[in-house]
Amino acid sequence: MPKIPVEQLKPGMKLARPLQNSSGMVLMAEGAELTEARISKIENMGVDSVFIDGPSRPAQPKEDLLDALDRRFAKMGGNPQMSLIKKAVREHIEAMYG
Amino acid sequence: MGNMDPKALRSRVENISNIPTIPSVLKQLSTIIENPKISLNEISHFVSKDPALTTKILQMVNSALYGFPGRISSVNHAVMLLGLNVVKGLLLSVSVFEIMHKAMIGLREHSIGVAIASKVLAQRKGLKEPEEVFVAGLLHDVGKVILTLVYPEDYDKTVKEAEAAGISIFEAERNHFSETHAAVAGWLSEKWHFPKKLCDCIANHHRPQVSTLAPLETAIVHMADILVKARGLGFSGDNLVPEVNPKAWDTLGLAEADLREILKELEDSVEQTEEEFKS
Repeated sequence: MPKIPVEQLKPGMKLARPLQNSSGMVLMAEGAELTEARISKIENMGVDSVFIDGPSRPAQPKEDLLDALDRRFAKMGGNPQMSLIKKAVREHIEAMYG
Repeated sequence: MGNMDPKALRSRVENISNIPTIPSVLKQLSTIIENPKISLNEISHFVSKDPALTTKILQMVNSALYGFPGRISSVNHAVMLLGLNVVKGLLLSVSVFEIMHKAMIGLREHSIGVAIASKVLAQRKGLKEPEEVFVAGLLHDVGKVILTLVYPEDYDKTVKEAEAAGISIFEAERNHFSETHAAVAGWLSEKWHFPKKLCDCIANHHRPQVSTLAPLETAIVHMADILVKARGLGFSGDNLVPEVNPKAWDTLGLAEADLREILKELEDSVEQTEEEFKS
């Protein structure tokens, strides 16, 4: 889940984690859908950023991550279990980019 | 530099408290934990004298990983909820995290990743104590830190040898020290009086097929290590993903869809944890 700065929040986004004040009181529940009103409430609370549902995009380009994956599995022969692990990681990485 | 005498190696490792370069908090903690009759109050007392250690341990137990976010206020309370062994393991790992980061950049991230993946796997397998498997994951590579502290030059050479020869750190260690980081961590976890299952798991995470006391837990940490290496989270000295042991693979019986779900959970938890550990 990506951590989004308050100024980039948009209505329709959902909170991935409950929003708590410093004493742990929940101010907005996990899964709450953001509206204009809720976004300004978050702004007024002095929060910098919040966790939003959905995959977060890694900072590096997808091709770099996939190349690095190939290098880590470079010596792999025909081991079917290792091929399966590599395939699962490749799909996992691709899913992070939506 | 030929093979080292395994007995001499073991004795140096077990007496790490005598090595001047050992950070004092680890030295003191190690002395306390070595006492088999140590009580909860004595541990709490020791921790409460060290504000930095108190802050770190409370941060860790209050992280979202444990399901009590923001609710654990004291070390006593943490022991009640998580058990003495888990708290001991967490204390040791926070006290080596800093050295871990210096010993090998990325090893701390790798260890946290393996701990989380171990816990996710333990929960999927219905284990009653997923937190103990988490601790085994957290400490599985602590032997690398200990070897760096005890033999800084030799260990540096070993890491470089592994890279130049294209072999695993595990093999390079065996060539150089006759034993490996897994054995080293196993000796220490016995000395620290961790449950036998936990010691077995840590000592055999590279050869899960020989585990007799905790075959399932050992297969879990073995698999977690491979998944974290495959995903490339952190760095543990190996550039290549080691092969999964066939027996461990069968014990876990994971399909591709399971692997993807585990990776997803791992990714989400690591992301949250990084936020929490930064502060």
